[in-house]
Amino acid sequence: MIRFVCFRLLQSLIALAILSVVVFVLARATGDPLHMILPMSATEEDYANARQYLGLDRPYVEQYLTFVGRAATGDFGNSIRARRPVSEILRERLPNSLRLALFAMTVSLAMAFPLGVLAAVKKGTGLDRAAQVISVLGQSLPSFWVAIILVEFVAGRWQWLPAGGNEGFTSYILPGFTLGWFVVAGLMRLLRSGMLEVLDSEYVKLARLKGVAESRVVWMHALKNALIPVVTFAGIYFSILVTTAIVVETVFAWPGLGRLAYEGISSRDFPVIQAVVLTTAAIVTVVNLAVDLLYAVIDPRIRYAR
Amino acid sequence: MKRSSRTMALSLSLSLALALCAIAGPAWAQAKTELTVVLSSFAGETLDPVLQGHLVKYYLSPMFDYLVGTTPDGTPSPAGGIAIKWENSADHKRWTFHLRKGVKFHNGDELTSEDVKFSLQRAMSKRSTTGYAGPLRTLIQDIETPAPDRVVIVTKESTLIIPTYLSRSLSTEGMVLPKKYIEANGDDVFARKPVGSGPYRFVEQVTGAHIKLTAMDTHWRTGTPKYKNLTFKVVPEETTRIALLRRGEGDIVEISRERVKELQKEGYPIHFRKEEAILHAYWVLGPDGRVGPTKDKRVREALNLAIDRNEIAQAIFGGHADPAAIPMGLSWSFKDIGFKVTPDMQYAYDVPRAKKLLAEAGHATGFPLDIYAFQLPGLPEGKAFAEALAGYWEKVGIKPRLIPVDYPAYRKLWVDRKAPEAVGYYNIANRDWIGTYALLEKMAYGPSKPNDTANDPEADAMIAQVMRQTDREKINTLMRNIYTRLRSEHVGVPVVYLHSPYATAKTLGKWTPGTVMYDLFLEQLAAGK
Repeated sequence: MIRFVCFRLLQSLIALAILSVVVFVLARATGDPLHMILPMSATEEDYANARQYLGLDRPYVEQYLTFVGRAATGDFGNSIRARRPVSEILRERLPNSLRLALFAMTVSLAMAFPLGVLAAVKKGTGLDRAAQVISVLGQSLPSFWVAIILVEFVAGRWQWLPAGGNEGFTSYILPGFTLGWFVVAGLMRLLRSGMLEVLDSEYVKLARLKGVAESRVVWMHALKNALIPVVTFAGIYFSILVTTAIVVETVFAWPGLGRLAYEGISSRDFPVIQAVVLTTAAIVTVVNLAVDLLYAVIDPRIRYAR
Repeated sequence: MKRSSRTMALSLSLSLALALCAIAGPAWAQAKTELTVVLSSFAGETLDPVLQGHLVKYYLSPMFDYLVGTTPDGTPSPAGGIAIKWENSADHKRWTFHLRKGVKFHNGDELTSEDVKFSLQRAMSKRSTTGYAGPLRTLIQDIETPAPDRVVIVTKESTLIIPTYLSRSLSTEGMVLPKKYIEANGDDVFARKPVGSGPYRFVEQVTGAHIKLTAMDTHWRTGTPKYKNLTFKVVPEETTRIALLRRGEGDIVEISRERVKELQKEGYPIHFRKEEAILHAYWVLGPDGRVGPTKDKRVREALNLAIDRNEIAQAIFGGHADPAAIPMGLSWSFKDIGFKVTPDMQYAYDVPRAKKLLAEAGHATGFPLDIYAFQLPGLPEGKAFAEALAGYWEKVGIKPRLIPVDYPAYRKLWVDRKAPEAVGYYNIANRDWIGTYALLEKMAYGPSKPNDTANDPEADAMIAQVMRQTDREKINTLMRNIYTRLRSEHVGVPVVYLHSPYATAKTLGKWTPGTVMYDLFLEQLAAGK
């Protein structure tokens, strides 16, 4: 197991190193941040001053090495746009994204588990069909549309819940539901198909023949064995929810990582773009590793003796 | 199986209950001492005035006092700033400002001439990226502080611009900062916890969310402010901003022109900042100036005549815009310099004449023309406008090619002159004559590469003279002549003046947002004026 973890960590470090080069180059290929922070009336001298002050006049190799050297210690330099340490901004934004993603994932799991399991157990019934409708809607309705509709009606017209911002528990509900809605559909379908397969297996039949209570068969024996694809999916989606909720964070004015990425990209704020991409990659790596380790917990037959 | 159903029902109920139990009631009972302003952008969200000009004024002007105050219509006024009087030497090279006595910063330090000197030096430093740091660096030779309540600014050349450049009507260079606090704590601490001398002091910033201020007990600008707390929220999505208004969580909300009618029907007062910006299209210059068919004045006139400005104002801007006639003609400056837009200066929508002019110029069958389509802050209609331009020009035989792009990418092409003759546009905030001059000096003045869009030697000569001139009447004449020249040469495509709407809570009462760019003059509201 330790060998496996070390191997995965090494893989991740190599991936991060390659990614750092790619993001460094691409960020600089699409625009100059000074065009965004300097006024239209800025002269060439103003540009030269700002370039020198921000260290953008140094050779690219030197800039890259400085960036990598600092990033290794958690220092991503100063934001060109906000003129503050990027690590400080990340510390403000990342917890918001993590909390929102956690909330969204909790809502998704709370809805997807009972629906998915029961859709399989009651295959072909009205409940199964209802679950499939939810699934289709969840995966086909774009999140920006769901978000706008919720803001317009639930928050604006009916005034049931806050429209935006991160000010207390209630402000999590609409963005959390919007984010989680899409995930519910995927989780539920996976769970339903996994359960159908498991419920038809020999050991489940044997358990039933031995007189084990049906609820125990479904929720203890069958569900556990249908979980592996679900855990993988949930893990991947958790990291996606943390890192790419740009639309939802924008509509709900949620100060998270997705919006920070958008702001960084639209203002060509190199240090922010680099920091967000590397942080995102690190989150994906950690979550994937956690998911891999969870496999062994769920199914002891899985071994990592490679 | 029953147990399974019960479990499912329980889980679903819990999920639903989770949402329902937390349902918040509408916030109409919000305390009257709160004022919340909801904007679409805070730009860089910087709290240090030297780190960004313009857009940050929305939330910095209640925190800081300017050396030179202005009335809400932008006129420099001894009643609104730290300077209660200013005078110039006969050669217009020494400007003496007499400072208001007894003004204190929020940390209790007294505001003196040393703070003014320090602030100005900081605004001109290399670190500064404010709107007019460059011209001030070039112009100011020395800053003297003969007494705690007197500052003398010495310039290298005779000039009239000093009071306006350090006033509230332009950017942030005129904001007075606390020297002792910054020197003791450093720039970084100041940028996180700014201390000013304005009627509101800083409380909290959550980047991407809000900036909270609280009122000083009393202040010379406002007396005892009506609103104890002032919050600026940044909410990029308009539907959300309007939802905040409906829920009573926003008192002043930036809205788009297309939502005005709907909110008016619901009874929300709409306040317009009339002619807040000019929407102006132009042809990008090549490395050596104008290139291609638009070198010909007749082609430039034809492209102007091919556009139905009234239709654009109605169809794209919901009727909240008026046709513009003068390239780069910032209309708030017209009254300062005595410039009148005569009926013959207005561009008619005249397709036959446009075609005739193109034919005379040898382009009867048109020519290819790239139009970059992008959004700009305050111009959500940007792409629709670019499409409209393409449609109009297609009707007179031009072969437009729309290129969707984001603004930073386009701006690089523009200032690097990598897209010669392509069409771009900007929505420049309106301003008084000196502000207008500052704009013309960069956008219509040949030596000002890379921003020049005019490339007209005659206009260049007049623009150069304005800076050296200290006779106001002569300046006015020069400015009028510059506008006349820009119009007669059709150096760009002035399209419309944009009126910017703000919806307010029904209980807000009378509010005059004024006409100073990027400044809502909230202390007028706070003072109950």
